[in-house]
Amino acid sequence: MSENQFEPFIIAFCCNWCSYAAADLAGVSRFQYPPNMRLIRVMCSGMVHPNLIIDALTRGADGVIVCGCHPGDCHYLSGNLVAKKREEGIYLMLDDLGIERERFRLEWISAAEGIKFSQTMKEFVEQIRKVGPSPYRTF
Amino acid sequence: MAVRVAEEWFAICAGCEITILDIGEKLLDLLPKLEFVHMPVIMDHKLFGQTGEKDKIEIPEADVGIITGGIRNEENKEVAKEMRAKCKTLIALGSCACFGGIPALANQFPVQDLYEKVYRGSKTTDPAENPNKEIPPLTDRVYALDEVVKVDVYIPGCPTQPELVADALTSLLEGKPFALPERSVCDDCPTQRQKKADISLRRPLENVTDISKDVKESRCFMELGFLCLGPVTKSGCGGSEKTPRCIKGFMPCRGCFGPIRKGANPLVEMINALSSIGLNPNEIIDRPATIQRYIGAHNRLRPLPKKP
Amino acid sequence: MKKIVIQPVSRIEGHAKITIQLDDAGNVQDTWVQVIELRGFEKFCIGKPVEELPRIVTSICGVCPWSHHLASSKACDAVFGVQPPPTGKKLRELCNSIAYTEEHILHFYFLAGADFVMGPDADYSVRNVIGIAQKHPDIGKKVIRCRWLGAEMLDIVSGKAIHPVTSVPGGFSKPLRKEEVEKLKPMANEVLEFAKFSIDFAKKNLFPQYLDAVKSIGVINTGFLGTVKDDGALDLYDGKLRMMTPDGKYEDFTYEQYTDYIAEHIEPWSYLKFPYMKKAGGFSMDLSSPKGIYRTNTLARINVCDYIPTPLAQAELEEFRKNFGRPCQLTLLYNWARLIELLYNAEKIVQLLDDPEITSLDIRVPVKPREARGIGCVEAPRGTLIHDYETDANGIVKNVNLIVGTTHNNAPINMSVKKSAKELIKNGKYDQGMLNRLEMAIRAYDPCLSCATHKLDGTLPVKVEIVDKNFNKIDTLINY
Ligand code: SF4
Ligand code: SF4
Ligand code: SF4
Ligand code: FES
Repeated sequence: MSENQFEPFIIAFCCNWCSYAAADLAGVSRFQYPPNMRLIRVMCSGMVHPNLIIDALTRGADGVIVCGCHPGDCHYLSGNLVAKKREEGIYLMLDDLGIERERFRLEWISAAEGIKFSQTMKEFVEQIRKVGPSPYRTF
Repeated sequence: MAVRVAEEWFAICAGCEITILDIGEKLLDLLPKLEFVHMPVIMDHKLFGQTGEKDKIEIPEADVGIITGGIRNEENKEVAKEMRAKCKTLIALGSCACFGGIPALANQFPVQDLYEKVYRGSKTTDPAENPNKEIPPLTDRVYALDEVVKVDVYIPGCPTQPELVADALTSLLEGKPFALPERSVCDDCPTQRQKKADISLRRPLENVTDISKDVKESRCFMELGFLCLGPVTKSGCGGSEKTPRCIKGFMPCRGCFGPIRKGANPLVEMINALSSIGLNPNEIIDRPATIQRYIGAHNRLRPLPKKP
Repeated sequence: MKKIVIQPVSRIEGHAKITIQLDDAGNVQDTWVQVIELRGFEKFCIGKPVEELPRIVTSICGVCPWSHHLASSKACDAVFGVQPPPTGKKLRELCNSIAYTEEHILHFYFLAGADFVMGPDADYSVRNVIGIAQKHPDIGKKVIRCRWLGAEMLDIVSGKAIHPVTSVPGGFSKPLRKEEVEKLKPMANEVLEFAKFSIDFAKKNLFPQYLDAVKSIGVINTGFLGTVKDDGALDLYDGKLRMMTPDGKYEDFTYEQYTDYIAEHIEPWSYLKFPYMKKAGGFSMDLSSPKGIYRTNTLARINVCDYIPTPLAQAELEEFRKNFGRPCQLTLLYNWARLIELLYNAEKIVQLLDDPEITSLDIRVPVKPREARGIGCVEAPRGTLIHDYETDANGIVKNVNLIVGTTHNNAPINMSVKKSAKELIKNGKYDQGMLNRLEMAIRAYDPCLSCATHKLDGTLPVKVEIVDKNFNKIDTLINY
């Protein structure tokens, strides 16, 4: 890897019950996923307030992905629906801040989907690599 | 002993200085306790001595420094640094100094676009090159004061409220710290809220409410569908009377007092607030500049990539 | 060849500096008053919903925010194709007149008038409002009180005295209640009494002493621009524009025709443009044969109007005309004209408050966005203010053109500086005293500039830099 190749810095918020477990599974099953991710475990995708996402993206992260349980599977019943409802607002905020919409993604990944987890992460890193460094990147 | 005060103004409209005058009779009580060592707006000529040969701005030592206006050129920066060096406590007065203010709306555009419009894109003007003969070029954008030097006290508002200036000076005289409480305009707004809007967003092209009644009896303007920045704006404009100034005039708030707390993000919070009462933020025209009209410095307003 | 740069720490819609160029013999070859600041309102108003503009453009000037607010809402009225209901218009006029009294009192006592009250030879340290307060404590108190009364009245009528929000496309947003009118009446009468006192005081004690200076300092012949009603009455809020040439002949035109009468010239050395009379066929600030130069502001308005529609002010106008003729070119008399206007506005406030219609609730007509162009003008204290907007079908601003009061006087200021510099600098000789004289010359030429360029005591902090033709600095003179 050449020295000045752009390495995206990505934050992934994963809900404890599904997607974080999926990440675990991916790890145990040796499905590789890129080292650009910083996983943050949250109890539910509905807990990830838009401010957290915007803060991450305006303070240097190149991308943010939020992963939760599939609709209907949320351990708090409707947390992931709340997350879904916020999606549109987050895109608007990104527009207003001059941040490309591609830098944010919401995904449903169940505890059993280790492969999907590693696939999704690889895809997302590639997507961010294409968009380039965040306009707010300071490092 | 009298407190020594220095005052400077930058790229501004002088509304904040007028506000100091409009403190009124209270000002007469305060004046004897203050010694103005530098204040272009009221007095003092002997700053450099009669034969000052200095090229550099020099400001005498002072206990309190007040600066109005944001930073628009290199000279402003120098003066700000000199003020910081010479003043024990530095006050940013007005939203221009605190957050960039209206002039920072220009931050939406590259500086070159401003020149283009003003000197070649105006119908009464004989087009010409940008003026460039011995005039200092503008900075790339408008900066808030604290992007250049450390600020100790913020007194926001466009313009601020005279009582606040008097209060701030009084606290400083007594050696007490001064900071505005972290309350929102809504907290001091007398209108009635039901936490939901029954109509979608509309522009203020008509009376926002029934004007035959007192504003106290009105439903919250935002719940009536008119964008109001009350939820994300610091309270204080109403002074001791409390009722926010624009609300009193049957007009929605446009956020001139800036964010409720340092580090807040009104753009994000406003979009959340609208969604939470069932309004669609997508319907706001020119959203970034509308929600951040007075706070465009700190990189909040910047040229945005053209949408496809 | 030497160059002298004077940099006042002051503002004409921004900061300005003065450069004086000497020829090899040390005489003045050329001078420039340069405005070194640019804020770009014309750019960043584009893309905003037009109804928001009256709330944005106020920040162009905190001394006369009402003028911008009203010109802007009038331009919006035109864009939307509506006329405010009578009470809406009256409320706007009421605010305009209150703002005018505040502004003229500020000027006369805090700025230029301090010279007259304290005497031009008084020490700098007392030639300010605090000095006035000490020499004439009663007047000082009154001045502060009347300023405060103005702010308080505006607060009652509109909620926000500086950077107002209540004049809206189609009228006014806040009705005036009967209780409020009763509260306002005694305040208005107090201001009227003070206006009467001011002009009597000035005529008795101040102007006579300085008449010689008035007749000699900074006199040049120019045209004038102001607003009048159809019958030629002075009006500060609405009417038609009148352009008067130096010989006193005039032509009237509508707001829409302003581009036929006024053009703006750009010089490479100033961010501020130079408006001129288009019909003069060109622009020149040459002292011996100026072209297209006109002035605005109090004296201009007093010159162009046929009469003033309030009795006390009309009596003053007649007296003024008897003494100085029409048009009067004596620059120092801007101050006298200012006091006549103060009286007119104070009378007007009282009249409007006595009008039963003022408490009507019919103050605003709803408006609908459309594609249009709208021009709104008012007389700002410093001169005719022109706001010209174009919108698309959604009422979003496509284009903005602003001609601001002070800008009209850009060329006259430049000429005054040149004239004075030529008289003051001979054979390369200059000294500290020259600074003060230059400063006085500018102030004398157009004391109205005080709100744009002066410190609040009416003096101009002046910095002179003397540089050679490569702009290497040789010397610096400072009077502050
Ligand atoms: S904050 Fe507002 S009133 Fe104060 S200087 Fe800036 S524009 Fe003027
Ligand atoms: S949103 Fe506006 S009208 Fe509603 S309560 Fe807040 S400040 Fe008042
Ligand atoms: S209501 Fe809002 S915009 Fe109006 S003065 Fe108060 S803070 Fe400023
Ligand atoms: S618990 Fe997984 S999304 Fe709510």
